[in-house]
Amino acid sequence: MGVREQQKQATRAKVIDAARDLFDSEGYEETTIRAIAEKAGVSVGSVFTTFASKAEILGQIMAERVAALAAELERVVPHLRGSVVDRLSALLAIHYDFQMRRPKLFLAYIATSFSARHESGFTPVGSNPALRAPVRDILNDAVERGEIVANTDVELAMDTVIALHTFNYLQVAGGATASDLTQRMDRELKQFCDGLSPR
Amino acid sequence: MQVRRLFGATGPHRRLGNMTYMNQKTLASIETRIPPTRRALAKQQTRQKILAAARELFTQRGYEGATIRDIARAAGMSTGAVFASFADKAELFDEIVAADYQALEADMAEAVQGAANVEEALLGLFGAAYRSHVHQLPMVCAAMSVGWTRDPKSAGRSREALRPIVDLIRAALQDGVERGELASHTDVRLLRGIVWEVYLSGYRAAVYEGWTADDMIARLAEQLKIILAGVRA
Repeated sequence: MGVREQQKQATRAKVIDAARDLFDSEGYEETTIRAIAEKAGVSVGSVFTTFASKAEILGQIMAERVAALAAELERVVPHLRGSVVDRLSALLAIHYDFQMRRPKLFLAYIATSFSARHESGFTPVGSNPALRAPVRDILNDAVERGEIVANTDVELAMDTVIALHTFNYLQVAGGATASDLTQRMDRELKQFCDGLSPR
Repeated sequence: MQVRRLFGATGPHRRLGNMTYMNQKTLASIETRIPPTRRALAKQQTRQKILAAARELFTQRGYEGATIRDIARAAGMSTGAVFASFADKAELFDEIVAADYQALEADMAEAVQGAANVEEALLGLFGAAYRSHVHQLPMVCAAMSVGWTRDPKSAGRSREALRPIVDLIRAALQDGVERGELASHTDVRLLRGIVWEVYLSGYRAAVYEGWTADDMIARLAEQLKIILAGVRA
């Protein structure tokens, strides 16, 4: 790696660290590029040569967090046991525990996902393949075991589970904790999967 | 009703702030009997001008992209004049959204009339919402984006404005229980939360995938089929 490329990577890392802290403490909308540059100890200009926009910085932060979360899931998912509800519930509880370590950051990410601005380098919430796959796997497995009806539209069921999971974060503004979210999701999952069980 | 629309939330409404829906209705009927003063009319015109300019800018730029300064400039007045009518941007935005909800509630209430069963009722209600919103997606996006990070005051206003719509959903489900379509032990509150969240998620596909209202309704119908299968009597 050339010196220039090394410098660029170093700037990138500094900007991401500074932005993650500021987004989580001050809020995403409240944080300016200038403030990020100042905290990172770099010039405003060099922030803009590394990232196209604030949303791209947020996208990059979330992508790194997804990688960490996906690694955690990879360790745990093969060991999940029990009913389809139990498995999905355990899986999604890991998401809630992880994201609620920095709730303000995650809410800013969801809000930005819904603000309709398409930015390169920004993956909207719920559409990351690494996070969708485990939900799909658990549902496919449940179909195979005959736990849910054979003609289940797994993609639709997966999207619906992910939608319920995501929209539960609306409760956070009212003071819900990670465990509140998990409890609510458990009830919703049980109700939803009742509709998929063979009768 | 017409008069209340015209005079939106003038003097007494604003000062009493956190009133219940019922009280606002009662108040509105009193208001119709008291002719507004010239001053109140001028104030009302200013508010309407600000609201129209703000709606335009929120639609173009989203919530965060539109500043009070921009809105004031577009309305042809000073930022001070805007702040004389609205405490902050959130209040201004919430009032626009509340006016939309009010119009939507009427559409939804009409759409649910004559529904033969709970599925038809829900599709009627949510379908009316999709059909009306699909033409103003930028505003929907702004509202959806704001929803995650509202302060408690704004969250309270939003809940209040949404209450009549949420009540329509609750009533549709409750009717389903009473007609014996849904099991008597159905957790209506839980079910309402689920169908609401699933309904909201439909807007995502409209925004990102360019879905039409019919696409959204067809998908919601499939989702409701699963959800309701679990609570059939």
